[in-house]
Amino acid sequence: MTNIEKYIQSFTAAFDIEAEQCEGLEYQGIETWDSVGHMGLIAELEDVFDIMMDTDDIIDFSSFEKGKEILGKYDVEF
Amino acid sequence: MFKNKNIMITGTNRGIGRTMLEAFAREGANIWAHARKETSEFTENLKHVSEINAVEIMPIFFDMTNSLEMKQAVKEISDSKKTIDVLVNNAGIAHGGLFQMTSLEKMRDVFDVNYFSVLELTQLISRLMVRQKKGSIINIASISGLDLKAGNCAYGTSKAALIAATKVLSYELAPQGIRVNAIAPGLTDTNMTVLMEKKAGDAMVRETALNRLGLPEEIAQTAIFLASDKASFITGQTLRVDGGM
Repeated sequence: MTNIEKYIQSFTAAFDIEAEQCEGLEYQGIETWDSVGHMGLIAELEDVFDIMMDTDDIIDFSSFEKGKEILGKYDVEF
Repeated sequence: MFKNKNIMITGTNRGIGRTMLEAFAREGANIWAHARKETSEFTENLKHVSEINAVEIMPIFFDMTNSLEMKQAVKEISDSKKTIDVLVNNAGIAHGGLFQMTSLEKMRDVFDVNYFSVLELTQLISRLMVRQKKGSIINIASISGLDLKAGNCAYGTSKAALIAATKVLSYELAPQGIRVNAIAPGLTDTNMTVLMEKKAGDAMVRETALNRLGLPEEIAQTAIFLASDKASFITGQTLRVDGGM
């Protein structure tokens, strides 16, 4: 599985959405991406990519696109 | 009761932490045993406790106020792919002194260890617990954080902050299946108590209905209860274990 596939799968698992809905998604843009859902997504991403994110990055993780940029800091390339 | 469960306890080299390590091991738990530094006595004790209880005890060393060391340690736990079922935030430092005689630097030091470092570790470990949607966090506070009296401007207020955080976290982590509780021990028979002024210690003992010091084992058994499924409907609470005050 490629990194982008893993990334999308983390979103679909965390928010119970279809892969097609991920592009352009923003924090609080859907009901399930609230603060609780956000921590679920972070847990999913940390598990899938075997990383430990800094709190500042968790706070900055504001959209599907921004998340890709942040994961770049942890050597996750798309 | 805790067979195949993994528990992290901070400050396991002495006092209540060491007794909790032994008590959880007797219940069959595998333990991440934290201490600030490795010593031969600590290593020997872990080996002994591991052997007599047939459990896995994994030492883990970091200074509670060193974020980098703490993150590396938690990454090590994460990399092990073992679950963390229970976190017991036990490590702390004691301090007594009147407000006018306590420097701000000392207050910051006490808060760094007893409050901020606990929150930082809990942030990291709770993220691992979120993955499994289950966990129990126990903060070892103090009755000094509930019965705030003269001489407690640093230690007592740091424990009061910890008790307040326990309540907040219990609400925030409940949707992820994580319970958060605190234990407020009264004066307990440990090395920390020996450091206390004798007159003040004697006065505290006289105030208790049971008229004695608490035993570390009595605190450990409370932690075992709160960590267990027997306490599955208990969260956000601070349980006094103080001999009646």
